[in-house]
Amino acid sequence: MDFRLAFPALVAGRLLLAYTSLPDVLKNDHQLSSPLTSYSRLQEGVYLFQQGFDPYSGGPFRHSPLLLSVFSTVFPLTRFTSPILWTACDAVAAWALVRIWRARQNIAGSMRDTLVAASYLLNPYIFLPSLAFSTSSIENALCLTSLMFACQGRSSAALMALALLTHLSLPSILLLFPVSLLLLTDPFSHLAFPRPFVARIPSLPPLLAEFTAYFLGLCAAATLLCGNTTWVEKTWGAFLLLPDLTPNPGLWWYFFTEMFDHFRPFFLMVFSVHLLIYALPLCIKYQHDGVYATYLLLGVLATFKAYPTLSDPGLFLSMSALFPETYPYLRHPIVTTLLHLHASLLLPLFHNLWLTQGTGNANFFYASTLVFGMANGAALLDAMWAGLRVAIGEMRGECEVAQE
Amino acid sequence: MATAVRDKASAVIGKLKSLILGTGDRNISRIRRRRKLTALLWKSLPALIVTLLSAGYFWMLAIPLPQLGQRTYIDENALQPGQVRTYWDWADVHRADQYLEGLEQLRGRNASSDEIAQHIATEFEKIGIPASTQRYSFSTTAGVTNGTNAYAVRSSPRASGAEAMVISASWISRTGEGDGTLNLRGVSSVLALANFLKGYSLWAKDLVFVISDGYLDGMQAWITSYHGVPQSNMWAEPLELSSGVVWTALNIDYPGHSFSHLGVFFEGLNGRLPNQDLINSLFVITRHTAAVPVVVYDHMDPHEFPGIKADLAGIPEWVPGSLRENDDVVEYGYRAKNILRHANYQARGQASGVHGLLHQFRIDAITLFAVPAAGPHGFHAIGRIVESTLRTTNNLLERLHASFFFYFLVGTHTFLKVGMYLPSAVLISTALMFAGLRAWVEAGWVWERAAPEPEAGADDKAGTGEKKGGPDQLKGRWVTRRRPVLKPLGIMLATHAAGALLFFTITQPWFVAHQEAYAVPVFALFSALSFAPLLLSPPSSSSPSAEAPLPLLLRALTLCLASTVTSIISVLNFSLAASLALTLGIPLTLAAPAHSLPARLGKGALYACLALGWLVLAPGEVRRAVWNWEVLRVWFAPFVCVVYTPLMLQAAVVNVLPP
Amino acid sequence: MLSGWLFNVCFFLSVLAARTVALHAEQFDEELTLRPLRDGKLAARFSFTTLLKGVAPRNPERLDEDDDSQHYTLFPLALGQILREYAVTEMHLTLNAGNWAYDRWGYPDDLGVSTGAELWAWMGEGGPVTVDDRWKGLRNALAGLFCASLGSLDEQRTTSPALTFQPEGSLPRWNASHQLRHATLPSEHVCTENLTPFLKLLPCKARSGVAMLLNPHRLFDADWHGLGVHVRYLDAGVEVRLAFQAVFDPVRLSSDKRRDWSLRSVFDRTIDRACPVARSSEVRVELLPDSAYAITPDPSEIDGNRATYAVKDRTEPLDVAMRWPGEEAFQYPIEAAPLSPLSVRRTLKGSSQSDAQLSVVIRNNLPVQVRSSYLETMPWLVEFYLHTLHADIGGVPRDDLVSVISYTAPVPHTRPTLFQAILTLPPKTTLHLTMDVTKTFLRYTEHPPDAQRGWDLPPAVLIPFDFGEDPIQNHTTSPGTSAKYARPARPRRIYTSVLLVDLATPDFSMPYNVIIMSCTLIALIFGSVFNLLTRKFVLVRLDGDSAEQKPDVK
Repeated sequence: MDFRLAFPALVAGRLLLAYTSLPDVLKNDHQLSSPLTSYSRLQEGVYLFQQGFDPYSGGPFRHSPLLLSVFSTVFPLTRFTSPILWTACDAVAAWALVRIWRARQNIAGSMRDTLVAASYLLNPYIFLPSLAFSTSSIENALCLTSLMFACQGRSSAALMALALLTHLSLPSILLLFPVSLLLLTDPFSHLAFPRPFVARIPSLPPLLAEFTAYFLGLCAAATLLCGNTTWVEKTWGAFLLLPDLTPNPGLWWYFFTEMFDHFRPFFLMVFSVHLLIYALPLCIKYQHDGVYATYLLLGVLATFKAYPTLSDPGLFLSMSALFPETYPYLRHPIVTTLLHLHASLLLPLFHNLWLTQGTGNANFFYASTLVFGMANGAALLDAMWAGLRVAIGEMRGECEVAQE
Repeated sequence: MATAVRDKASAVIGKLKSLILGTGDRNISRIRRRRKLTALLWKSLPALIVTLLSAGYFWMLAIPLPQLGQRTYIDENALQPGQVRTYWDWADVHRADQYLEGLEQLRGRNASSDEIAQHIATEFEKIGIPASTQRYSFSTTAGVTNGTNAYAVRSSPRASGAEAMVISASWISRTGEGDGTLNLRGVSSVLALANFLKGYSLWAKDLVFVISDGYLDGMQAWITSYHGVPQSNMWAEPLELSSGVVWTALNIDYPGHSFSHLGVFFEGLNGRLPNQDLINSLFVITRHTAAVPVVVYDHMDPHEFPGIKADLAGIPEWVPGSLRENDDVVEYGYRAKNILRHANYQARGQASGVHGLLHQFRIDAITLFAVPAAGPHGFHAIGRIVESTLRTTNNLLERLHASFFFYFLVGTHTFLKVGMYLPSAVLISTALMFAGLRAWVEAGWVWERAAPEPEAGADDKAGTGEKKGGPDQLKGRWVTRRRPVLKPLGIMLATHAAGALLFFTITQPWFVAHQEAYAVPVFALFSALSFAPLLLSPPSSSSPSAEAPLPLLLRALTLCLASTVTSIISVLNFSLAASLALTLGIPLTLAAPAHSLPARLGKGALYACLALGWLVLAPGEVRRAVWNWEVLRVWFAPFVCVVYTPLMLQAAVVNVLPP
Repeated sequence: MLSGWLFNVCFFLSVLAARTVALHAEQFDEELTLRPLRDGKLAARFSFTTLLKGVAPRNPERLDEDDDSQHYTLFPLALGQILREYAVTEMHLTLNAGNWAYDRWGYPDDLGVSTGAELWAWMGEGGPVTVDDRWKGLRNALAGLFCASLGSLDEQRTTSPALTFQPEGSLPRWNASHQLRHATLPSEHVCTENLTPFLKLLPCKARSGVAMLLNPHRLFDADWHGLGVHVRYLDAGVEVRLAFQAVFDPVRLSSDKRRDWSLRSVFDRTIDRACPVARSSEVRVELLPDSAYAITPDPSEIDGNRATYAVKDRTEPLDVAMRWPGEEAFQYPIEAAPLSPLSVRRTLKGSSQSDAQLSVVIRNNLPVQVRSSYLETMPWLVEFYLHTLHADIGGVPRDDLVSVISYTAPVPHTRPTLFQAILTLPPKTTLHLTMDVTKTFLRYTEHPPDAQRGWDLPPAVLIPFDFGEDPIQNHTTSPGTSAKYARPARPRRIYTSVLLVDLATPDFSMPYNVIIMSCTLIALIFGSVFNLLTRKFVLVRLDGDSAEQKPDVK
């Protein structure tokens, strides 16, 4: 199908959906929007800000001051404007994904463009959250744009987008490693023919410095907007201290609901540090392909970050459309798919069973989040295996590849 | 010395190692082990599938066996059922009779809903309980239903009014699922109870009395507006009186002149069941407080009537007499009868009484059904039972949570835990899953003989090459082939979309109005869909050695999807899952393209009938399911249209497509 | 001899001194008001007032110095010490059971009728100890004194709604300003163990005077009952008023459903003797003008529709009785107009454990426009979505009638919500307020033992304060009501009923399992990831048993 035709069609379909009554139904769904990305809370913050109350004095509002300023001034959030913005975010993200694909293949356009765009726009993990107006859609868009710029070698733009993303959701700072790696190398696919990373170490510090400059700039702007720095504890602090235990598809909330009080700080530290561990090893192992490293790291974040929504695994799954060369080498694609199928059916049903019908208790939903975690983990492992395995290529004769 | 020992030891350990792990390179032996294992699994897979299927079906047959059940018990210590002395006496019975006279006069001059509700509200006011009425109307495709509820809130002394209990009676009894029999005695006993209960200061919760109009519609209107949940096709006056959170509710259904047994109905909307403690405590109370025999539903216990026990147990005539009189057989029959009644309600997500509507708001409620008979019991018994039950629920300090929410109540004393019946459905869905995976692997491989030069690559799945090769391996070899999943996925999506369209169709006024006329064409149209792929997709150009055939892939995915749906539904609503397993299990496993075109078409038609036959064969069922969806939000109709029918249609497509 | 004489003189002097102090510095009045209600019930209100003349509350700035010694003979010492210790200027504590029905019973004689426990105090700022520390000390001391779990009125429930809870006495003019602390505990139940210490504070205990009627068996069977302790500073001195209110149901008590009552039938006691140290001791009965009643014995005096019995100048026991000889069984009034200016209904809609909707229905019963303040002090268990606050009258949106004046957002595990608004209520209309709320999810250690019950939420408080002019100057529309209510002496609080919110509970038996399972999953993925990342790939040739190495994939 022709991309120039299909893309607008897909976007238009999304927009129409957003104008139905679906968003009002999905708005407060725990799987689609976490307390840090919820639309209702964003509206609440904007309302308080406009009424002259400090939105960061209390618990409910945990969005970034930048979003607050944007939505309270230039872009009012109404039932009419919101669908446009969120659809635009998805469109931008999908477009960025296509550009990454092109940059990666080093071609102007291909038959696959439509498929790549569709893999983002038709992915239920992506469009349900954005129908619920969860700001995670904005984060996804930023992430993909920054990646796109990185692929095009436009370092400043990439770093700016990344800084914004990090400002909105702190854990994304891990992406700094692979993105800078990508900026130092080329975006083309080297999975099949890995080569050691030609070190241009001296050009790394300027990138980091630039990123830091942007980041500090954004923080300064945020502090100016609020007049104080309470927002830091309310927005970023939430990722580290988990003050709000609202259920989500992730692994943190029930763990820290059931955690003994005197162990809480320790395990909070462990869970946060655990995220850091992955960044460098992945970048070293996949130093030949920055995009793939980013992709895997996104998978890690989607599985282990503090307040995930469905759109985080969604981003990971949609990005897999960029690496068709790895498909034949996926380890257990059918198992992963079935796990995801089970999880995506279990999550809403058990959530309803626990909170609405009251016949099942919290363990039901917890179990479904475990299944979901397994599904994400399986997908991540598949991708990692395939990414390495593809380098060996097809076997001649009775051979097999093993690890030792 | 020591070294010798050590050497001996190491030698022994080495032998053991080589015995267990095999000799040579570790990787090779590991891979060989894996291949042996997979080969074994592959060989035994068909047998395994059959075993699982049959095990599942046999388990389902075994569910009514007495060996599986266990005695009921009270789990919540606060309840203390039957521990209180009841004060309900003949003066209250007399008052109930007076109320009954008033109501019978109303019925005599067939008064309007408004009059009745107004009369009842005034009676409450006279007792000194604030009361009010509520008008409502539902607009469904079948037409407009409207009526008027009457309700009263007695805010109990010394209590904060944050908690409440509901005592309700619907104007129309549940006899024949609401065939129009009036529930006059139920209503008058609620009025008499209101008058009686007000005289005591021991109530820790507010008492909310509801006389709902109609059979189910009235209570739906009342309870939804009590919880402030808007419903698009409902208009209802806002309630003028309010109370606190409702934990438990009793619904009194007393249609006849007097009753011999007290039946208990408990199934709620969408298969939700009340906490078992409520039912169990009622059984205890009826046994100890008022010596009234109590039964599940209106099924008489065969052991009470030895003469006709076989008939009561629902054992068919053709069974030889010796068996019919056998107690074990009778017990089995009785339990099976209860289970089937239960599954019949639960699978269709239908409420077995007015109580079922309260379930959607986490209220544990049951209906006390006075099974009509010549005697001996009447107002006196029912009053005492209700009083004692209310005292019991009044003891509650927390919402009922201790006992079971998932169970089969096979008798008044015995029930089945979830673990006793759930595996049956899960086994079947596992069988489906294995069949699906088998088809998936088959789709990925093709047997290629006479391969001069091994060019077709084998990736890490090459293991399967050997495991399937067996002796023929010399003559040829298994090679992988591509599995283009997009087309089968497209077909599946299309069928589900068609299901949604079907649902949209049968909820249209014109369809509901002239169902007999439209059923057949709609059936024909949608079953024709299953033959559409025949025209759309020409047999794929590329050779089967390079690309997996479409039907095989479709079959694999359909089986996996069906298995997933079944196993997940089984946790929520077992009866529905069981009926899914029963209907889908065999057909889906047998679905495979035949070679001759007529055979394919025939099988396709057969499957289409399985998928859509209900449209023609059960018009009444369709009408009721649609009404349930529109008024009570019962998911059965959409589920059948969007999940069951599409799966069956996919199987039909598998049959129709060329191999 | 001489010494003995001296001793006698000293003794006499000292006794004289003591008596004079007692007589001049303190005075004690007690009173019982009985009010037959429209729905056959009987409202009784005991009030014991002790005035400590010429004494000012302790100034917090001098807390580090020793307090000047106190001599109390009538004034309750235990309470006095607490007040001095924490330098409390004004304090109100109420412990109530039941839900006051304003529509049927009108305003209560004592305004504090919030279900459960309510404590609020005005305290001066400055000095070595902060207000919050003294507040903490105060509630703990009172908890000990009244055997009530007031200790749990902690920071998570304490607010400072100064507009709604104005001081009832006067505040001393110190250079530092005063501060309000207010907290409610709806789930607190009042019972005998609270009444006993309450009686101990009375100079005559329950042995004489109207306090003799305080019979726990009957009081705690009443439809509504509650006790209150009110301390305020008047220009005359510090006043402590101990009050007990109850609403009895003679119809329920009587066998033949009549509303006749007598002290004997209601309290199962009579007033045998007066309290000797009381300056005045009276029983007042409010008479219903529009019904044929008979009251015995003859009251000491009748002014208007209020009969008064002076207990002090009676010799035989007093047993006031009221009968309606005319009527057989009591007929409940049907369709009777509400007695309060506003009728309020506050409910929490929805049944999900994740979110709900707060709905408040306020009816203005007067023919004039009323402006009223509306206060919510919500624990952090429930978070408001202020942007969803909407008002409508009969379905017509009227957001202009609500103006939010102050809002303090809750902080999880720390601070409650404080929400104050001004409502404008058009005459004879029903205003419907709705606001979406979201229920928070607690740590498993924060749940109470009966977690499945849920949490009681404190009542909202309304104060109708600005009664507009009656557009048409005829009171025929509502006889008396507007005249009676349009100009009240001072704004009077109206408490709504309390709410029960059920929060989602975790499985309390699970902590170990959850830790184990989550950690297992994480370790599993972590382990496999690092397997993949660290271990070398090798190519295994299966026909020949040789594993040829392949360089690590890089």
